[in-house]
Amino acid sequence: MIKITELQKYYRTEEVETVALNSLSIDVQKGEFVAVMGPSGCGKSTLLNIIGLLDDLDEGSYKFNDIEVAKFNERKRSDLRKHNIGFVFQSFNLIDELTVFENVELPLIYTKVPAAERKKRVEEVLEKVQIMHRRNHFPQQLSGGQQQRVAVARAVVNNPKLILADEPTGNLDSNNGNEVMQLLTELNDQGTTIVMVTHSEHDARYSDRIIRMLDGQVVMTTVG
Amino acid sequence: MLKNYIKIAWRNIWKTKGFSTINILGLAVGMTACFLIALYVNFERSYDRYHSKADRIYRLVCDIKTPTETINANITSGPMAMYAAKDLPEIENFARLLPNSLLIRKDNIKYQESKLFFADSTLFQLFDFPMVAGNPATALKEPFSVVLSESAAKKYFGKEDPMGKSLLLTDDSFNSKVTGVIKDIPENSQFKGDVFVSMVTLIKMANFKFDEQWGNFGFTSYVLTKPNTDPSLLTTKFPAFLTSRVGKEMDQMKMHYSLFLEPLKEVYLYSKRGGFESGNINNVYIFAIVALFILLIACINFINLSTARAIERAKEVGIRKVVGAYRMQITRQFISESVLICLLAFIISLLLCLVLIPYFNYLAGKEISGGIFFHPIYIIILFLLACLIGLLAGIYPALVLSSFKPVTVLKGKFSSNAKGLLLRKTLVIVQFVVSIALIAGTLIVHRQLGYMRNQNLGFNKEQMLVLQTNGDAKSRILKDAVASVPGVLSNSVSGAVPGGENPVAYSEIENKQGDMQIANLPVYFVDYNYIPLYKIKLVAGRIFSPDFGTDTAQAMILNESAVKLFGYSKPEDAIGKKYSQWGSEGKIIGVIKDFHFKSLQSKIEPLSMRYGQGNGGGLVSIKIEGQHINAALQAIERKWHDIIPNRPFEYFFADEFFDRQYRAENRFGGLFLNFAVLAIFISCLGLFGLVSYNTTQRYREIGIRKVLGASVSTIVQLLSIDFLQLVCISILVASPLMWFFMSKWLADFAYHIDISWWIFAIAGSIAVGIALVVITSLTIKAAMENPVKSLRSE
Repeated sequence: MIKITELQKYYRTEEVETVALNSLSIDVQKGEFVAVMGPSGCGKSTLLNIIGLLDDLDEGSYKFNDIEVAKFNERKRSDLRKHNIGFVFQSFNLIDELTVFENVELPLIYTKVPAAERKKRVEEVLEKVQIMHRRNHFPQQLSGGQQQRVAVARAVVNNPKLILADEPTGNLDSNNGNEVMQLLTELNDQGTTIVMVTHSEHDARYSDRIIRMLDGQVVMTTVG
Repeated sequence: MLKNYIKIAWRNIWKTKGFSTINILGLAVGMTACFLIALYVNFERSYDRYHSKADRIYRLVCDIKTPTETINANITSGPMAMYAAKDLPEIENFARLLPNSLLIRKDNIKYQESKLFFADSTLFQLFDFPMVAGNPATALKEPFSVVLSESAAKKYFGKEDPMGKSLLLTDDSFNSKVTGVIKDIPENSQFKGDVFVSMVTLIKMANFKFDEQWGNFGFTSYVLTKPNTDPSLLTTKFPAFLTSRVGKEMDQMKMHYSLFLEPLKEVYLYSKRGGFESGNINNVYIFAIVALFILLIACINFINLSTARAIERAKEVGIRKVVGAYRMQITRQFISESVLICLLAFIISLLLCLVLIPYFNYLAGKEISGGIFFHPIYIIILFLLACLIGLLAGIYPALVLSSFKPVTVLKGKFSSNAKGLLLRKTLVIVQFVVSIALIAGTLIVHRQLGYMRNQNLGFNKEQMLVLQTNGDAKSRILKDAVASVPGVLSNSVSGAVPGGENPVAYSEIENKQGDMQIANLPVYFVDYNYIPLYKIKLVAGRIFSPDFGTDTAQAMILNESAVKLFGYSKPEDAIGKKYSQWGSEGKIIGVIKDFHFKSLQSKIEPLSMRYGQGNGGGLVSIKIEGQHINAALQAIERKWHDIIPNRPFEYFFADEFFDRQYRAENRFGGLFLNFAVLAIFISCLGLFGLVSYNTTQRYREIGIRKVLGASVSTIVQLLSIDFLQLVCISILVASPLMWFFMSKWLADFAYHIDISWWIFAIAGSIAVGIALVVITSLTIKAAMENPVKSLRSE
């Protein structure tokens, strides 16, 4: 599903050029659950952002479902993103001004799903993450675990083929963290590909494969 | 999608109540100011445009040139329009008006009608004054025919049908007949008569053969040209016309007439000759510019606050982009949000207009609008304007917000860029330039008004009551009778008082070379007591005195300006010289010091005084002791009713009467002040928003500085200095601009203040002071905050 070869990514300031990712190549198969690990600053989040088309790559090739997407313009990136990719962040990133229901509904609005259909699908997914009873609450009225469940619901409501999770349990206690990991595993079982960046060996064990990075390069790949 | 936009917009407005209030209130106030000024500008421009033949109607005006001066009169003599219409085929019709003030009575109802005109029967053929009753073609044909406005008809006849009924004109009780009733003349008309008396009445009433007296000015004449007539071509025919009709007379009198045409629609705003009512196109422009500026300030606030707050919305933009929003969709979202805010402002603005229109009418001194619902088109325009402002003000923030890279903002690495900051600073400077300019303008206008009010006018007008008998034959008897009223110190009867109307007489005065020099001299007919009563200073010769029998018919007093006009370097030299004026011949017996008998807008003109008891005006001036004014006034009123029972009691105080000449300037000053306050208010709202935003942004910096030992005062200084610098730059930009414009405004006054540097210093200090209050109130709070709080949040 994802084929990245010889990826180079630099961060430039006026005086210094830092190499964030260096000749990095990875493959992710459809239906795989991959964890990316490594110390802070090794480039794992940058990699995730590039996979999610939130960031550009400087050199190399990125094929998504065998289509070269590295040179996509913003509109094409948006299109690809909204139909194929769901995101889960460490800090949940819910819109504070929208209710639980409205937050989850948002991706469906941008993919122009009719209102009745939206309602049905949002309710289904809220049931699935067991947050239906909180559908009219605002994010600040929820616990961290609940917020992350909403974020997961939002990531999956469009039935994406790929979920990118950036330290999804980083802001959660272990109970809530386990619940979220359980959710991701279930999604993976249903066929969704998952790429997850994590610091936690415990979380990484849920995955099929662990990619370990150091200084912008893949140093080891192990089976989870 | 739209629903989602509106929902989130509304929640955002609600969540940030402070910012939203600033935004919405600022815009609403700006729009209201704009709306009101638009009403004013439109009203001023609408004068006399409603007549269906307005495009073909011109006011005929005359320049009168004597060997020493040229008078640009707004009036003509009686024959001018009439013979022009006869001789020149381009003129289809004409109508003349002669303003007057007559006593009108019906049974016990009596009024001194000052909105009265003698008018040609053609009046209603030129002008569209709809007739409620009577025949417009014949209503003013016969002598002693009277056409009333509906209000006047109601005043005299109540619910009775006035047609064919009788009204008594003047104290001599000429019997007149009501032959027509017209709808009240609209406010936006250069003449607003309540009573029109047929012109031919003048022949019967006063044996005034106005159609033959070429030298007798006083008529406001309008001509209706035939379709497709070129007015400038017509004007070129006037000299030949005048020569053929009145050439000899002009040569004899050494006076030369020139006629000109002024388009009816331009008389009110553009004519420099004045008229029954005149506006000022410059004031209209000034207010239009002020309105645009106020709206600009409000829009700037909007842009500034929205872009500054952009960072707070960055996360939302990031998330929306992550879940698939296109940049265009985000742009659209923020524009709809900004339009929504503008529409809220629009609604508030409508409410404000509703409340403020009566006050605005009062400020402007005229019924500009009966209320907001009289202007549906304006409401639609304002609505569209609101949408447009929303669009324009929303575009920049929308583009900035939608350009955020999701990965950057979600990582929290985003900070405002230098370009945005520079833009915001520039906009703040623009706002304060406008505000400071308006403050300086207000100060200058008010100082000029104060200067005019407090200037030594050369005569005493304090505690001077003036009875207006309108030329009643018994005005002298009244004057003698009130002398015995307790509290009356002294009194006098005259034809004119300072600040009022006075006749201008064709005069010949012996000049330094011994020639009889021709001049049109204003003339005051006064009694023996007038000069001492008004404390006008005598500089040479003597005043009128009963000791000299010849003073009543053969004596004249001139002012210093007149003496100079005739070539005398010393006032004494004019004493004993000959004069001839309006059939009277005699000698100059005295010279008085120049005094301001007109407003300070004009230079003191040459003036002549002759002995006469109330000719023309019949004004009784009475000096009253301060503490007795009320009692004296009551006693005087009783005397009035005893002596001239037919006339309603009319009086004024000389000081108020004189100051009435500055009504237009007072209004101008009042409006200016109000709009300056508005501008500074909106600017401060914007500053408040920006400073509070900036302070929040530097929350962490403040924390670190405090940990490192910074005091509250150094932090306040740190946060304030940037903004104060902007205000200071604004002062530097605004001062020369305002100096330039206000010098032009002041140039219209013959006597005016000099614009000193300290006016700008004061205007600047006011701006800095207000800005300082806004800034420190916010920064002190931030500086007092416990640093642990701000650092922990990182």
